[in-house]
Amino acid sequence: MNDHGDDVQPELPGRERRRLRWSGLIQYLLLQAVIAAAGVLALLQSLPGPPAQYQLTAFQLTEAGIERAVALPYFSPLRNAMNDPPRFSGKFVRPAGEASRAWSVFLPRFTNGVEVTVNDVVILDSRRDPAANRPDRNTPVIAVIPASVLRDGDNAISIRLFIWGPITGFLDRIWVGPDELLRPTYDLRTLIFVTLPVVFSSWQAILAVILGIMWVMRRHEPAYGVLAAAMAVGVGQAFLQTPMGETPFSKLNVILISSAPIESGLVLTFALLFSGWKWQRYAWIIFIPGIVLALAGLFGSQALVRALFLILAVPMVGVSLLIMAVVTARSALQRQNVASFLLGCAVTIMLTCWIVDLLSVFQMMPNRIFTARLSYSAMLVAIGAGLTWRFARALNQVDGFAGRLVTQVREAEEKLKASFAREEERARAAALARERTRLMRDLHDGLGGQLVSIVALSERGNGSAEISDAARAALKDLRLVIDSMDDIGGDLMLALGSWRERAMAQLRPHDIALDWRAVTAQGLPVYPELRPWHVIQIVRLLDEAVTNAAKHADARCITVRIETLAGANGLKRGRITVEDDGKGFEIAPDGGAAGATKAARGLRNMRNRAARCGAELQLSSCAQGTHKGTRVRLTLPHRFPDSDGAVG
Amino acid sequence: MNSLSDGPKAEAITVVLVEDDAPTLWRLQDALAKAGYQVRAAGTLTEARACLAQGAPKVLLTDLQLPDGHGVDLIRETRQRFPDTEIMVISILGDEESVISAITVGATGYLLKDAFPTDIAATVRDLVAGHSPISASIARFIVRRTQSTPEPPPGPALNTAKLTPREIDILWGIAKGFSYAEIASHLGLSRQTVPGHIKSIYRKLEVHTRGEAVFEAVQQGLIKL
Repeated sequence: MNDHGDDVQPELPGRERRRLRWSGLIQYLLLQAVIAAAGVLALLQSLPGPPAQYQLTAFQLTEAGIERAVALPYFSPLRNAMNDPPRFSGKFVRPAGEASRAWSVFLPRFTNGVEVTVNDVVILDSRRDPAANRPDRNTPVIAVIPASVLRDGDNAISIRLFIWGPITGFLDRIWVGPDELLRPTYDLRTLIFVTLPVVFSSWQAILAVILGIMWVMRRHEPAYGVLAAAMAVGVGQAFLQTPMGETPFSKLNVILISSAPIESGLVLTFALLFSGWKWQRYAWIIFIPGIVLALAGLFGSQALVRALFLILAVPMVGVSLLIMAVVTARSALQRQNVASFLLGCAVTIMLTCWIVDLLSVFQMMPNRIFTARLSYSAMLVAIGAGLTWRFARALNQVDGFAGRLVTQVREAEEKLKASFAREEERARAAALARERTRLMRDLHDGLGGQLVSIVALSERGNGSAEISDAARAALKDLRLVIDSMDDIGGDLMLALGSWRERAMAQLRPHDIALDWRAVTAQGLPVYPELRPWHVIQIVRLLDEAVTNAAKHADARCITVRIETLAGANGLKRGRITVEDDGKGFEIAPDGGAAGATKAARGLRNMRNRAARCGAELQLSSCAQGTHKGTRVRLTLPHRFPDSDGAVG
Repeated sequence: MNSLSDGPKAEAITVVLVEDDAPTLWRLQDALAKAGYQVRAAGTLTEARACLAQGAPKVLLTDLQLPDGHGVDLIRETRQRFPDTEIMVISILGDEESVISAITVGATGYLLKDAFPTDIAATVRDLVAGHSPISASIARFIVRRTQSTPEPPPGPALNTAKLTPREIDILWGIAKGFSYAEIASHLGLSRQTVPGHIKSIYRKLEVHTRGEAVFEAVQQGLIKL
């Protein structure tokens, strides 16, 4: 039972924790005091009785050969009076004209048995009713007086009170009157003291079955088994009733007397186990009173059993209740456990009733209504509610666990997907690198060598300068393709670094300076989605711009400006500007170059390349003035497109 | 063996040029000779070894793919015999596949076969002056190797463990196309110290001896003992 899903309290400083514990204890004790006070108040309320005019209280009592006048309710000092029971003689008056109405005798409470005689005719013997024989029940009896026995005017009534312990005899006030007036009170008492206990005993039987099943299914929680046993004992005590007298079952009857200490011992064991206590060998002493009582019932006399009952069973019940009150209070406070809290309240109710019962046994109460057994129903309700609470909580935990599991599985799945994507990306990069290496070797051994030979041969006078230039351009392009296939990790600056070298080598023979300006410290932002084909498009576009400036613009200096633009939304864009100080050209309204078709095609190419990468291209050119020259401004997108389908 | 020792200045700097493609050899030889270098040209590994037998050149320029062997062996031998000789690879594409393997045996940078004659002469001049040129793509290759990856990237083996953070920063600057002056100002260095750093980078990437090569290979997990 240690594995209760108790809510773990957050760590607090020691003083704060102590303060909380004290305030919790005080609140709990106050609540229990309120419950006890409410219980006492409720118990002090007397049950409604029939009209007072039919009440009989004045009797002549013949007890142990002595006759005297007494008033009911009467507590007899005797513990055993079977052969010569006290006899109460009195009389009542039936007014004339009442003959048409049935008259009854109503005895709300007595201990242990009564025999009622009206006009020397026995009309009632409670000893034949097993339920009425039990001193712990407050069974009322009623008997209709046969019409032939009654007469107008004075009628004699005598009551013999049989007492067989274990407590002293008692006879409450009695009523004799019209049956219709007495019956409702009798019915009410029967409902409370006979029917209701049967209902609760049935509930106890159901609990016994439920707890038994629970224990069978969860053998590691013996508390349920113990409680199931307690419930079973309680059910046996309630339903196995034998009549008085020497029958083959009378031995069983005395054993049943031991049910109270045994049951209280079992419930106490349950409460201890439920609060997390480990079973100890010495704990068997809990059951000693019950066992002694049962043995006494089997081998001793009834008188002995009844004497023992008072000194063993009653204190055992009280002690059990006291221990349970402490244990459940601790459990309820320390673990904030609703089940323990309910159990604690039930124990308080039972303890209150037990104390009141004890007082009434010692005749400190005006009446003798025993409520301890009845208040046991509060315990049964608490157990049922606690069980349901635990069950619902366990279901919630299962739901929560399932939910957590689903979340965890989803997270794991996402992680797996991400790692799979990373792995794929790595594999793709590795494949690209291998392919690049292979291609490079091929180009190096074949095409590259041949192009170099062309350059060398044409320079030696075997060809024209154009052939040499074309071969060089082809080599340059070859280097660009290989270079852009390299994994640059989305840092376009790494591609531009190589491009700068190539551009400088290209411009040096033309005596054109390349002014390289990284305006922002980092140059361009990193684009993780950057692919080799994006790099090729951008570098070719820049090549085109530089080549135009070198070949057509007659420029002296080309400025390449690299910067990062911080957008309003926090997104960064890169911008590359290629500016020359050449003669410029006229830009047609459609954005192309006016005049030369070759230049126009070049510009269209540049626009296409920019569009494929999702970049913006701005061209401006000025033929005269201080700002003469051409400016190509390439503004990169926030994110490069995945597919090459932007423009055909 | 084409020994062209009839240059205008006999006391000039000696360059051993090894290239198997005849037109390219002539073109490079022309460019260097016109710039005043004393060029000893070779078309094969054997010829190259014969050239080197005549004495230590100031500069060795060699192609890697030779008819009778690999230029890497020539570089390693030269590096061991003549520690003061500056070595450069002649490359068609300037690709790291060939250049890095040459750097690890002692080469300093590369010369493109189609470079303009003026650029060829300037590159050798810088090299002799103690400047070690490093291209953006080679710098990029080296710095990408300094970044930790779960599996070794493809391409030639390269141990970047000895590089200092400052040297790696310089390599990043070069890879991104910044000039020495820009790099120096970014890193708070004097512009004149940058070439020295680059020289140091080249030396640190070099695997000096066979024993060291084995040690490095073990360090990098390429060989299991």
